Amino acid sequence: MTRYKTWDPAIRIFHWGLAALFAANALVVDEDNALHDRIGYAIAALIGLRLLWGLLGPRRARLSTLVPRPGAVLDHLSDIATGRHRAHLGHSPLGALMILNLLSSIALIALTGHMMTTNAFWGIEWVEEIHEMLVGWAGLSVGVHIAAVLWESHRTGINLPRAMVTGAKSVPDGVKIET
Amino acid sequence: MTVSWQRQPLALLALIAAQVACAAFFLIDVARDGMALRWAAFQSPHFTVEALAAMALIAAVVFEFRVLMQLLRQKAHLEEQLGLASGAFHEIVLARFADWGLTPAEQDVAMFLLKGLAIPEIAQMRGSAEGTVKAHLHATYRKAGVSGRGALLSLFIEDLMSAPAAPAPAAPVDKPA
Repeated sequence: MTRYKTWDPAIRIFHWGLAALFAANALVVDEDNALHDRIGYAIAALIGLRLLWGLLGPRRARLSTLVPRPGAVLDHLSDIATGRHRAHLGHSPLGALMILNLLSSIALIALTGHMMTTNAFWGIEWVEEIHEMLVGWAGLSVGVHIAAVLWESHRTGINLPRAMVTGAKSVPDGVKIET
Repeated sequence: MTVSWQRQPLALLALIAAQVACAAFFLIDVARDGMALRWAAFQSPHFTVEALAAMALIAAVVFEFRVLMQLLRQKAHLEEQLGLASGAFHEIVLARFADWGLTPAEQDVAMFLLKGLAIPEIAQMRGSAEGTVKAHLHATYRKAGVSGRGALLSLFIEDLMSAPAAPAPAAPVDKPA
């Protein structure tokens, strides 16, 4: 086992903050409650800060690490298909795609949610429709994200949920590291 | 050769991504209808057809994903075989060079020649005069007992063609642990 520092505190706070706020608004807080709107704006602010951190923050937080090369995506899939073990210290290519998907769909949820409070779009059906469809999509994506994290942890032997808490990935000996 | 290998899975991946989006759209729609109609949903033909269509689409995505994985396994297998073959060929070449008693300089020049470089290019890469390269080549031809470049190449091609058609050493790529 070798420990590698991968996620800075800002990334981790962002991750768990976004997860908690999204779950709260999707599952707990009623949409007619004023708290629903406030949580929505908090989510928008979190995503805004994350994008800023992606420009100013350390190497592993950079936005460029969220856009994998197509070849890297295929390499990652090939590793899964052939049972090869290779560890990624930053975002894995498929993981990066999921983050792009979640960030953009949750940002759009916040945007359409805000639109519903404006005079121009209040009560307009397609805005509400898109808002709800995207919540469904993001919910499915979160399910796939969690399943994939558990599966990848099992496959590579790296405890990924713990890495998102402690900030360090513990890579088992003998696993080749892909930077 | 590698181009078609790389494009094919990518196209399939893009198709899968598009279908996943469609399947999710239908699935969410079905779920919302189901929640709105509750038990009445199961008496509604529209709901039933929609649910079946969503399930068919999901089945197609699962099938395509398996095809993609199969494709990637084959690709990895081929690359492994190719690596074994070229590695084996390299070893044969080195073994021949050793048999003929080539000096390190002659081996170097002969290897460049096998890779298809012309004499001026070899001279440039080695930083020596063309005359020196020619001298090394003539020594190589003499030691190998051949008349020239074509004959030297054909020695190795003969090795390749007469290689037994036995299966290459088993590569454990297609057996996931």
